[in-house]
This record gives sequence, structure tokens and C-alpha cells, in this order.
Amino acid sequence: MTTTHSTTRGASTDAPRGAATDVAPPSYPKRRPGRFWTMARRDALTGYLFITPQLVGVLVFVLIPVGLAIYYSLNDWNIFTGELSFVGGENYAALLDDPQLPTVLGATAIFSGGVVMLNIALGLALAVMLNRRFRGVTLFRTMFFSPVVVSVVAWTLVWGFLLQDNGGINGLLAQFGVVGPNWLQEGPTAMTAVVITQVIRSVGINMVLFLSALQGVPGELYEAARIDGARNSTMFTRITLPLISPTLLLTAIITIVGALQAFAQIAVLTEGGPGLSTTVLVYYVFQQAFEFNHIGYGSTLALMLLTFVMLLTVLQWQLRRKWVFYED
Amino acid sequence: MNTATKLVSLAALATSIAVATAGCGASPEAPVATTAPPNSVELRMTVWTSNEDQLALFDTIAEEYKADHPEIKSITFESLPFPDYNTTLTTQIAGGNSPDLAWMGDLSRDLIASDALVPLTDRLTETKGWDYDDLLGSVTSEFTADDELYAYPFSNSPFALYVNESLLAAAGQSLDTSDLTWDQVSAVGSAVNAATGKGGFVIRDFNYSSWNTLATVWTGWGASAWNKDGTKCTFDSDEMVDAFQFLHDAIYVDASMPGPGTTADFFAGDSAFTIAQVSRAALLDGSFEYDVYPLPDGPEGEYSVLGQAGVGVLESSAHVQEATDFLAFLTNPENAAKLAQFFPPPRKSLLTGEKLAENNTKLTADQLEAVVIDQLPDAVTLPNHTSPAEISQKAKTALDAMWTPDADVKAVLSSVCTAIDPLLAT
Amino acid sequence: MKTDTAPPTIDVVRQPSGSAELPAGAGVTPRRVPRSGAAIARRIILYVALVVLAVPFVVPTIWMIASSFKPLSEIFASPPTIFTDSPTWAAYGEAFAFQPFAQQYFNSVYIAVLVTAITMLVSSLAGYAFARIRFPGQNLLFLVVLIGLLVPGEVTIVPLFQMFKQVGLINTHWPLILVTALAAPCVLATFVMRQFFIALPGELEEAARLDGLGRVGIWWRICLPLAKPALSAVAILTFLASWNLYLEPTVYITSPELFTLPQALTRYTDAYGGEMWNTQLAAATMTVVPVLVVFLIAQKQFVEGLAHSGLKG
Repeated sequence: MTTTHSTTRGASTDAPRGAATDVAPPSYPKRRPGRFWTMARRDALTGYLFITPQLVGVLVFVLIPVGLAIYYSLNDWNIFTGELSFVGGENYAALLDDPQLPTVLGATAIFSGGVVMLNIALGLALAVMLNRRFRGVTLFRTMFFSPVVVSVVAWTLVWGFLLQDNGGINGLLAQFGVVGPNWLQEGPTAMTAVVITQVIRSVGINMVLFLSALQGVPGELYEAARIDGARNSTMFTRITLPLISPTLLLTAIITIVGALQAFAQIAVLTEGGPGLSTTVLVYYVFQQAFEFNHIGYGSTLALMLLTFVMLLTVLQWQLRRKWVFYED
Repeated sequence: MNTATKLVSLAALATSIAVATAGCGASPEAPVATTAPPNSVELRMTVWTSNEDQLALFDTIAEEYKADHPEIKSITFESLPFPDYNTTLTTQIAGGNSPDLAWMGDLSRDLIASDALVPLTDRLTETKGWDYDDLLGSVTSEFTADDELYAYPFSNSPFALYVNESLLAAAGQSLDTSDLTWDQVSAVGSAVNAATGKGGFVIRDFNYSSWNTLATVWTGWGASAWNKDGTKCTFDSDEMVDAFQFLHDAIYVDASMPGPGTTADFFAGDSAFTIAQVSRAALLDGSFEYDVYPLPDGPEGEYSVLGQAGVGVLESSAHVQEATDFLAFLTNPENAAKLAQFFPPPRKSLLTGEKLAENNTKLTADQLEAVVIDQLPDAVTLPNHTSPAEISQKAKTALDAMWTPDADVKAVLSSVCTAIDPLLAT
Repeated sequence: MKTDTAPPTIDVVRQPSGSAELPAGAGVTPRRVPRSGAAIARRIILYVALVVLAVPFVVPTIWMIASSFKPLSEIFASPPTIFTDSPTWAAYGEAFAFQPFAQQYFNSVYIAVLVTAITMLVSSLAGYAFARIRFPGQNLLFLVVLIGLLVPGEVTIVPLFQMFKQVGLINTHWPLILVTALAAPCVLATFVMRQFFIALPGELEEAARLDGLGRVGIWWRICLPLAKPALSAVAILTFLASWNLYLEPTVYITSPELFTLPQALTRYTDAYGGEMWNTQLAAATMTVVPVLVVFLIAQKQFVEGLAHSGLKG
């Protein structure tokens, strides 16, 4: 550790100013910082150094690419010849003319909305059910968490089998004399299937997050409330929910981001069909950019998605003041 | 601590992308002059087969070539997975990691249109003993633009009707092969389905997604996806409506074709018939009695349809000269004869039933004569156009509405044209 | 925000208990230990509900494992079966014969491990700094980092592809390692670590400081050992994020020997694109079972570790 530490010091001498005095940094006494290098300033510098890898990562792998995406969106690109030609706002105008886009946006909204609501509701319900001691509780927690560790593609492949018209689910239904729908071939059932498989796969994470939050709620609160005669439902809405609201916010963010990036599920299960019914924006961007080779237009679509996410987050941030408890 | 420092430096790698170049990137090959120094040229050819025998044959031919060409250091055949062969190849080209030679299917039009392929006609005509005139005209047209050949059609595999005789017998059905029509196939398929619960006829690889394989059906009705020069959609023609009506009835009225979402693999014994390329005979594992016939007649009578693959040289190759020379060697009469054991050749001299049967354990000389030799000269190819992926997706999206019991066939087909006409026009 | 954690609790106690429900519910209150009959009934209902709910969570995995031993023709048998009478290992052999599956397995494992290690280091450093050190621009910089969580991967994938292409890293594992280890999943980790470190009592640091420890020392010797639950949560989330990466390998990697598992799983198709169902299932089983076994063994640390981490928002 010491090595890193002294490097830190060495680096500090190159920083803002002080180059005049610190000719030989290594021999400079460690415990006698110059007047400029007050405790607070050295501390701040350490802070900057600590966050540098993360900050640079975000800069190089997120912010610069976003800037490039904006640049690409103003160009047309022949992928075979590598020619880039400036087209100005043409790709943005194409957004308005794209007859598929409204359907894609609708599908994205339904998919993300469905996944987020179901995921949080089910995650919370499971957490409440499993937040007590009884025989087999660990086994149940394990079972509900297990799909999380199954690779998305493997999971989706299996569900692809099960959801075939002559697959396992309809076979099971047939045992009860029910003729199941042709799940992946009709818009509404295909969407339902994609949403549910996504929720089942990922709800385990939310369940555990909620479990952790629930265990953080002091038991005395419930005792007190019970003595005051509060009903279970009242206690849930008045004690549990407010106290775990920070977790709700966190899971909402994680789940939304996850839902908006659900690519493998769509690619393997439905390829966006039937029609465009399950073509969510991620999948559409992939098609445009990497299958149709419309990199400029794909970038434009991606930026539109970014705008949505930003707006949504700002909205959540604003609402947070209303419903997230720790904000006071 | 030590690992921690290493990790810090690894993380620091990311801070400067340039540093990362030292990683594991493939170093670009130096451009070579016409006469390359010995051992300086590495050629790479992308293929979509992963069949060991086929790859072994390619390796043997490459070894032979290397023996006479000291400048060649290595020739590798890179198997890319078939389902996203086009995407992968395009990504390689765009990523500056282009192969020197490549197999191509429906990507050929895009490659030709964007001048990404090296013209071959002069080179092959000049090559001694190559015998350019031996090429069958009907199979070169797909890879030709302005009288210039851009890829050698090494595989020309007609579609044929495979019959599971065991399943037919089990259902008490038999086929009148003197008058093999789609109506008969559908009727027998329907009966087999009713008797055994197995599928009737399956258009292999269609899967309610790859609609271009349906050309094996609609051609019999005299329909085509678009007009000859590929500028206007003809999905809304009366012939096409009739053809799709036939398919729709087969699924929803006669139950002679397994519907969407139902997996039925002919080669696993799940269906009575399948329409597949002759080359798929390799999938027959002997678990049932089979036979193979030319495509059934449609209302327009006899017809034949062809699936093709070509091999060409990419302009972005660092060794265009050497790659073209190797292509000429790979496809000369002698090697073409070797390749013919796997891929029906484009050379008239090789197209006899006996020659094809020499290396084919699944089909007899007579069968091959009937389903390959007789079909090739007049065969039409599957629909081919620039921007294949986009046309394919747009049409598929529109066509999905067809696969419900109460679909309006004519309206759906019109919507296909609405969807793809803008793409054809450009 | 740091000091806010304690006071609200008190608020809550007051709020609900002081609400209007008090008189109405007052009469029923004492029944804290319900009669055993009702308790048993309730327990049974709970068990039944949980078992029914668990079916879609567990059956697909079981079906996948069982079906990988079936002959091809039996996979789509109707009515469906779970277990076969004539089990065969054939598909497992095929999985290795058809693709360099062992190599692909190794790729996935080493990438995930490396990414997890980098992320744990980077996020714990950044999380610690954002939580415990004061420096100008702190909030603004934290916001900038958080943007990394909000930008969807598909926005950046095209430009990233071009950037990696510029430096010749297409068809290498670098993009999969660097982007995952430093962009979105790492930002989530940083967020988690920060939340955890914020909750640590300040006295610990004061004591360490008096003992002459610098910031690095405090971070390494005091805070990291305490942060084990949070670190394990970060490790699990990151490992899974890397392990499940699908879009990125599809875009960056074209050579089968460089494939990762999710990508490889979809490639079990014959030379003509027909899917080799039983081989796919066998390969999928091999990717899932070891992770499941590790999970079952370590499930206590897994679930409890997450539960006791700082993941409270």
C-alpha cells in the first residue's frame, strides 16, 4: 500500500502549483506539507485520485461515446466503403417519417412499464412472504433467486421451447383440458411472455434488496404500532413502505435500466415479432445499426432513448422528494 | 497488494485508449506488391460451414496451392456461424478486419453494389485451363453485374421434395409420383397429420420468418417477390395471392402444414414432406425410408428453384492479387470436381448424375439426375436484392399478419409491398 | 444527507402510531399470539402459495437439465415429459465437438473474474472518496459518474465499436473487460459502495487517523474489511453482469474461439442454420449447473450477503 501512497504524494507535487519548491519530491519530508498543502487540500487531492479510475471510465466509455453518437447522428455512413457523409438533421427528420417507430416506442413503453411494475410488486411480495422464520425459508429464497444466476440466453432458450405451440406450457395446459394460446405468435401473448420471462428471471435481485431493507426496519416499530392497534395493511403502508422507500427508488432505477437494455430476451425469444409487437428500442437500434448498417440512424434512435431515460430520471428525482423518505 | 497494484495499472489502461493498443489486436498486414516475397502472404477466407469433411477438403486444396506458391505463408478458412454470417462479415469489413476471400449468399448484391468485390471475369478467362465457357449461364447471373462476374457460384443446390416413406406408409398413404402436384402433397400431408399427428409438409428453414424460402412454393404459381430488375414489389400480384392462399389453407384449413410456433423437423421424422435443398440430404440419418423428387408442380406447371452460394475476393483485402490467384486455383476444373462432392457445381462438364453420385451416399445417380441436373438450367434463384436484411425484416414484419386463421391474404400482401417498395426503389 | 439517517426513524414511529387508526383497532390489539389452528392454516396457505409461485422459477431449469439427456425426437414429445426413458450423453459430446466450448467457457470465466476484481477495486475507491472525503466539486462529479448508470448501453455501443476499431481491439476481449469493469455496472457498484460507506460511523476513521493511518490506509485496512457485505454484493452483481453479457460480445467478437458463453449458446446450429436443440440444451446446462452448484453451496453468503450489504438505497 505504501507504494501507492507515496506515488500519491509524488503526483500531488506535480499538481496545481508548487513546482518551484518541490524539486526533489521523494526526499521531501512526508509529515511537513508546505503552506499550500494543508490537511484539507491533501485530503481533497486523495479524493480526486480515488475517484479518477471511475471518472475516467465514465468519461472514456460513456461520455465520449455519447458525444460521438451525436456526431454520427449527423452523418450517413457507408459501412462497406467506410465513407462518412454529412447529412445534417436528415436522420432526425427520418425519426418523424419512420412508420415503424411509433409501434416500437409503444412496445418499449409496454415492455418496460410491465417489467418494472411486475418486478417491483412481485419482488416486494416475495420479500414480505420470506421475511420471517419458518422451515424451508432459505430453500424458497434460493429457488426464487436461482434464475438470476442462470445465463439470460440459456434461460430464454428454455422458455423459447416451453412457449412453442406444441411446447411444455401448452402441453401442461392440455393436461387440464385447456387449449393454450400460440404464445409467441400473437402480439399480446408474445409481449406477455417476454415480460413475464424477464420478470421471473430478474425478480430475485429485487427480492433480496427488499429483504435487506425489510430487515433494516426495527421490529419495535411494529410492536409499537400493534400495541396502538394498527392493522397489518396499515402497518405496511405507514411503516414498511416509507422506511424502504429508498430501496424502492434504487430498485426502480436498476429495474428500469435493466428493462430498457433487455436485448437477449427479445433477440432469442421473438426476434421482435410477431410484426413489431415485441421490437423494443434496444433491439431496433441493434437492427438499424448492425443488421441494416444504418449507423447514423441507429445513433439517432439511441440518442432519443437517452433523452427519454434522462427525462424519466429527472422526473423520478423530482418525485423522489415527495415519496422517498430519507430526503426529509 | 501486488494484485491490487496490477489492477490499478490495468484500470489505468482504460484511461488512455492508445495504451491499450498494445493489447491483443490483430496487427494489420503490410501491403504487398505484385510479387510478394516468400512467406509473406496470409490469406483468410470466411465460410459458414463447420462440416469437418468440407473444411478438410479446403485445407487440402490450400496445401496443394501453397506447395507451388512460396509467397503464401498460410491460408485459413474461418467458419462463421450461419445464422449471423452476414452481420459478422459486415462487422469484420467495417472493423477493418476484412477477410481476403469470402463465401456469400444474399449479401452479394450489397457487396457488388458498393464495389467491395474484385471483378473476376478477365482474370478467370486468362487463367490457363480454367475454361470459363464451361460455366452454366443460369447459375452465374446472380453474381454478375454489367457482364462482369464478381463471385464464383461454387454451390448451386436446387430445392427438392423429400418424402418420409415410412411415415406415409404408417398413415396408409401413397404418392402418385407420375403427377406430383402441390395439391396432392397437401392432401397427403393432411391425411398423414390426421392419422399420425405428425406434420404434413414443412418448408425447411422458413420457420415463419425467412419468407424468401417460400419462393420454392410461389414460383409454381408464377409469382415472384419483385420484378426482374428489382425495382417494384410484386407481392400483391394475383399469382402471389393464390400462392399464399394455398399456404394459408394448408395451415388453417387442411392442417397439412404445421402452423407457426410448432416445431416439426423432417429429418427427425416429424413430418411427411419437406422442401429443402439437395445438399440437405446429408441430414438423412437412415432412421426412416425416404425418397426425393423435384418440386411438385404448381398451377403453372413444372418449375425449379435454386439456392446459391458464391465465393469472391474482397477489394479491402491487403492481397487482392494473391487472393484472386488462389480463387482461380480453388475453382479450376480439377478442384471444382473435388468440391462437387459437397456442392453442386456450376460447370457443365461436371453436371452428370454419375459424377455427382460418386461421392453422395444418400442419393442415387438417378435421383441426382432428376433433382439436380435436370433442374439447374431453368432454375430461378431465391429472391436476392441489395439491403437484404432490411427488406427481409420489413417484409417479415408485414407478413406476420398472414399467420392467423382469419388473415386477409390480399391485404397482408399489399402491406408487404407498402413496406418494401421504398427499399426497392432506391 | 449523511447525518439524516437517524432522525427519520423517530419520525416514523410517531407518524403511523399517532394516526387515526388508534381507536378503531384498539380493541383487537392484544391478540399478538394467534390461535394455533389459525396459525397452521395461515402457514399452509403460505406454503402452497410459495410452492405454486416457485414452479415457473424452478421448472425451466429442471426441464433444461433433464431434456439435455433426451434424444432429439423426444424433446418436443407431446404430451411433454420431464424425464426420459433412454438418457444419452451424446449431446454433451457434440457440444464440445461443434465449437471450442471449453475455450469459450474459460473465456467467460476469466473475463467475469477479471471484471469483478477491477470493479471491486475501482468502485470501493470511488465509493469511499464520494462518501468520506470532502473535495470541491464532489456532488457535481458524483452526478457525472451517475450519468454512467443512466446512459443505456445501446447508445454507446456504436461509437465504442468505432473507438475500439480505431485502436485495433475489435475481436479481442478488451472491450468486454474494460467497458463492463469501468462503465455502467461499475457505476452501480460505486453507488452501492458509497451508500455503504456513508453509513459507517465516523469515529472509526478518527481513531485510525490518530494511529497515523493515511487515507489509503484507512480505506484498505479499516473500511474495506468492514465493507465485506457490500463488496460481496458488488461482486455478485458485477460477476452476473459480465457473465450474462450478450449484445457486446455479439458486436465485438467474431471468432468462435473468442466467444463467450451466452454468445456461444446461440450458435449450436447445423451448417444451414437449423438449430441443434439437444446440443443447445446440453451446452446451456453446462453453463448453468456449475453456477447453480456454487450458488447452492454459498447461498447463505449469497443471499444474506446481499441482504446485509449497504444496498438500502
